Amino acid sequence: MAETGRYLYAVTRGLPPGALAEHRGLDDAGLELVEKDGLVAVVSDVDLAVYGEDGLRAHLEDLSWLERVARRHDDVVQAVAAQAPTAPLRLATICLDDDGVRSRLREWHDALRQALDRVEGRREWSVKAYARPRADASSNAAGEVANGESGRTTGGAGAAYLRRKRTQTDERRAAEEHAVDEASAVHAALAGAAVASRLLAAQDPRLTGHEGTMTLNGAYLVAAQDADSFVAEAERQAAAHPDLHLEVNGPWPPYSFATLDQP
Amino acid sequence: MTSDPVDRPARVALEPRPQPQISLVDLLDRLLGSGVVLAGDVVISLAGVDLVQVKLHAMISSVRADMADPRQAVRGGRDG
Repeated sequence: MAETGRYLYAVTRGLPPGALAEHRGLDDAGLELVEKDGLVAVVSDVDLAVYGEDGLRAHLEDLSWLERVARRHDDVVQAVAAQAPTAPLRLATICLDDDGVRSRLREWHDALRQALDRVEGRREWSVKAYARPRADASSNAAGEVANGESGRTTGGAGAAYLRRKRTQTDERRAAEEHAVDEASAVHAALAGAAVASRLLAAQDPRLTGHEGTMTLNGAYLVAAQDADSFVAEAERQAAAHPDLHLEVNGPWPPYSFATLDQP
Repeated sequence: MTSDPVDRPARVALEPRPQPQISLVDLLDRLLGSGVVLAGDVVISLAGVDLVQVKLHAMISSVRADMADPRQAVRGGRDG
């Protein structure tokens, strides 16, 4: 007989009865609610052979599997978030049984309650900024002319080459610093238009396939009714910083804002 | 004097328009990297350096294949 565990998708409160009746969890299992002191964990049964430690490690290199799991996990999170304040859980958070789930809800009660208070009525927006790829070649001629010491030909072609390379390096560094400064300004403006914000790690270009360096990967917590004004602020930032490409996405469940404070 | 609104820079329509759909990269960043972690008798909670490497390795070819974008060249990214 397969050993099962309780897979947790999210913690919520005040969920209307029957709210998740139409939704399914991983492997199309029914969703169940485990309640403790007003907090509700949304769970489903999973086969530990598949989702337990060994099973997960065996599957991790299979991206199609990982994607299916992540998408189904997210479907449940989104279904809950559409109806009640929601603290999404990390992928593959599993307890052995409902007693284990309730123990965790009791242990983390205060932090979970604070997380739910923080996100209630609010949604996450993602704003990324990319520095537009530079045309390095354009600075060559100008740099050579501007940097050449007037009238002197000391060192000849070799020295001129080195001066050119130094100019390019200096310009590239200056451009990078400028891009970072611009991204910081954009983040400050967006943070001012949000309840809370977080800076996430820049994403590897091999994953995004995006040319141009990612200089901002921001997450912003915005009241649901303020969505339009937040997007308008992002539009103003895009207009004010034409050297940046801004990518805005949302509204999403508050993945980045329901974290428990680490002791 | 007319009561014109305060002069502000023209608003630029964001291109592409903000999407409510979440990309796989963004989703895995969030589901693997943040959110509530319940410790104790949790069988497993995905975290750790080796997972990031696995994710990177597994995702590169798949993300490129998914995207219809013909651009192949990606800059050697500096570590974020």
